[in-house]
Amino acid sequence: MNKARKKSILRKMIIYIISIFVLSVIVFGMAKLSPGDPLVSYYGDRAERMNDEERAHAYERLGLNEPVYVQYALWIRNALQGDFGISFKYKKPVQDIVIARVGNTLLLGGIGFFLIFTLALMLAMFCVLHEGRVIDRIICRVGTITSCIPEFWLALVLIMIFAVNLKILPASGAYDIGQSDNVISRMSHMILPLIVVVTGHLWYYSYMLRNRLLEETVKDYVLLYEASGLSRRQIVFRHCVRNIMPTYISIMAISISHIVAGTYIVEMVFSYPGIGTLAFESARYHDYNMLMYICIITGAVVIFGNIAGQAVSEMIDPRMREQVKVVEQDD
Amino acid sequence: MSIHMGENILEVNNLSHSFHRSGKDNIRAVNDVSFNIKYNEIFGLAGESGSGKSTVARCIMNIIRPSTGRIMYDGINITDKKEIKSHKKKLQCERQIIFQDSTSSLNRHMKVADIIAEPLRINNIFGSGKEERHYVIEMLEEAGLNESYADRKPYELSGGERQRVAIARAFGMKPKLLIADEPFASLDAGIQMQMVELFLHLKNEHDCAILFIAHDLLMIRFLCDKVAVMNDGKIVECGNTAEIFNAPSHPYTKKLIDAIPIPEVAEK
Amino acid sequence: MTDKADNIEVKKINRSYGYRSDRFPVVSVLLLAMIAVGCIFCGIFSNHDPFYMNLDSVNVAPNSTFWFGTDTLGRDIYSMILNGGRISLFIGITASAISAVIALVYGSLSAVAPEWVDEIMMRFTEILLSVPSILLIIFVQAVAGSDNVISIAVVIGFTSWMSMAKIVRTEVRQIRSEEYVIAARAMGGSFFHNLRWHYIPNSLPSILFMIIMNVRGAIVAEATLSFVGLGLPIEIISWGSMLSLAEKAVMSNSWWIVFIPGIFLIVTIVCITEISNFLVQKTK
Repeated sequence: MNKARKKSILRKMIIYIISIFVLSVIVFGMAKLSPGDPLVSYYGDRAERMNDEERAHAYERLGLNEPVYVQYALWIRNALQGDFGISFKYKKPVQDIVIARVGNTLLLGGIGFFLIFTLALMLAMFCVLHEGRVIDRIICRVGTITSCIPEFWLALVLIMIFAVNLKILPASGAYDIGQSDNVISRMSHMILPLIVVVTGHLWYYSYMLRNRLLEETVKDYVLLYEASGLSRRQIVFRHCVRNIMPTYISIMAISISHIVAGTYIVEMVFSYPGIGTLAFESARYHDYNMLMYICIITGAVVIFGNIAGQAVSEMIDPRMREQVKVVEQDD
Repeated sequence: MSIHMGENILEVNNLSHSFHRSGKDNIRAVNDVSFNIKYNEIFGLAGESGSGKSTVARCIMNIIRPSTGRIMYDGINITDKKEIKSHKKKLQCERQIIFQDSTSSLNRHMKVADIIAEPLRINNIFGSGKEERHYVIEMLEEAGLNESYADRKPYELSGGERQRVAIARAFGMKPKLLIADEPFASLDAGIQMQMVELFLHLKNEHDCAILFIAHDLLMIRFLCDKVAVMNDGKIVECGNTAEIFNAPSHPYTKKLIDAIPIPEVAEK
Repeated sequence: MTDKADNIEVKKINRSYGYRSDRFPVVSVLLLAMIAVGCIFCGIFSNHDPFYMNLDSVNVAPNSTFWFGTDTLGRDIYSMILNGGRISLFIGITASAISAVIALVYGSLSAVAPEWVDEIMMRFTEILLSVPSILLIIFVQAVAGSDNVISIAVVIGFTSWMSMAKIVRTEVRQIRSEEYVIAARAMGGSFFHNLRWHYIPNSLPSILFMIIMNVRGAIVAEATLSFVGLGLPIEIISWGSMLSLAEKAVMSNSWWIVFIPGIFLIVTIVCITEISNFLVQKTK
């Protein structure tokens, strides 16, 4: 078993590396399709002040005269050494800008992720215990509607209510000026963005978990426990929840991409200094180096999450291992 | 008309095929099978399910590639990729197949007329839709159905009617070699007899050779000029139908003949 | 688990889903039809020129002349909603159609390709799916660089086909070993013949709900893009570009500029979701 697990982990690592490599090819190819002076995206305004000789030299240095695959090879070589180019907007290496902000995004996204999945499980259990009753139906209705509200719109409404009218919460940023270490200031800035991230995604996952739990509660072992005198609440809490854990983890893994997307949009509306805001700004300024870098690191995190989730649920439930391929056979 | 290269339309020589199973031994579905079919002959291939009959049929239709062996169709080596390619059109038009299960051999989302027209359209037989429609209805009528069936979907038809559609589709191409893979196995006994008559009628009208595959010998006795009996991927006995039925030499053949429901034979 | 046990379970589950009724979503269909009719025939229903910037009445709250008020540029919101809805719905449907076509062709190709090609093609969709949709859209939109209705629909369509293609592939993998496909191949039917007659008609029902969900996704994506200023400019009216003025309106507390287009957007999305949920239920 240990050998099999080592092999499986090795296989996953190889898949991971290949995936990121392919992602970099896609992203590079897409950026190459963009119109405009390629020097501008690397040197920014400086490119416009260059004379012909400097331009030729820059072209040479960046390998822009070479065929695309050579350009890619040069780019990936630099990237592997940690050089993803200069940001067109900030005139600094893109990785420096991103690293300065990545913490804010991880904080917002991480807390959001944690809240979504804690609340989703609780809500799912609550619905299952009250299955079919009025309260369950109301939650389902309200849930469907909340999951249909576009994040940016909800953010606007919350800003209007809590920041503009009631003036109890800040409308933008991650902390008050000069107070980046003030925990209370940071928390108060995070309340509204978190509400939006959580409401946008909570119901989708609660509903999935609710249905999965309902499937579990009609299984035979539940009857057995019921016969032995356990209450429904006890059965659901002790046994059903444990049995849906592999599903729970798989859902978490798949959700990363969606929750990251939600976080990015929310950051933008609240001008929260994170990667999401940066991505939208970069798109506006056609800052391709920055966009490429953001796409690759986001993709890397999401793919890692997917693979890790898969590995964990395999560990919990051996049945989820790769299914034996059945070869068709006629006659 | 094609030039007859000898008297056989199909020559199967030393055909073998194994299915690969991951982690297990290969299964030998067909083991060193050889037989010939003459022009305009009805050749029966009998055997219980699992004996490799369908695999032989699929090899002849180039649906699966046999592991070893050679199949000659009208002078063309159809186990050779290059030869298949250079005679693609001829092979597509002249060889037709009818499957056992008409529910899965007819696409339930297509109208009967479209189903019958499918091979005609693939091979661009008709220029206009009107001509095609006319021909499709003609084929429907030949198969014992009428125009009212043209715009129905397969699931609105009975099993027998569906199999008639499949037959119309196959004969619509005026095949030289028709492979009928247990075409009546899923039908009631009464309808089976009607279908046998339809088959004989169409065969006389269209002049083609038929490879008729069945698991019971009753149909074969009525239809076929020659018969080969398969067991476990091998042909155990081959010869003229009358001879084999009168004096079966292999015990397996005897067993199959004994399994024929006698009252029905006596009735006819 | 045997088939029989499965069936029994399915029955039990269906019985216990109080909320997931099989009832046809009448209210949603009616509401959506009303909105669609209002938008398509906006010329008849609107009472002002939606493009006319009336500088005398900027930021007017809803009243008897301007039923839903005016925006920060003095345009009548009621007429704009009808007019803009047309663009939003158009983008939703076009983008979804584009993604469905790509998904059907790509998924079918992957399903009938040799195993290693199939593996590569599916990995490719996984990798594209790993970039959050909105990030992918803004990247492609930044590269495409144009901001007209068609190009935005194309960009959204080209970035939202992946999960649908995965379902098509699973379906077609089952269909391709059906005898009617084997028969068609023996007759010489090409990939495109099989695609047209067999793969599409048989896999369409199982992706219908996703096609509808993609309409919803595209409408939201366009609204988000336009809101952040990467989509349609303010002169081209859509529900999204209308809301791009909302950020200013929030500060001046003009609730109607934020709320009214938003409510229309949400009602439309809820209706689409309900219809899609019904279809999921039906295909099961």
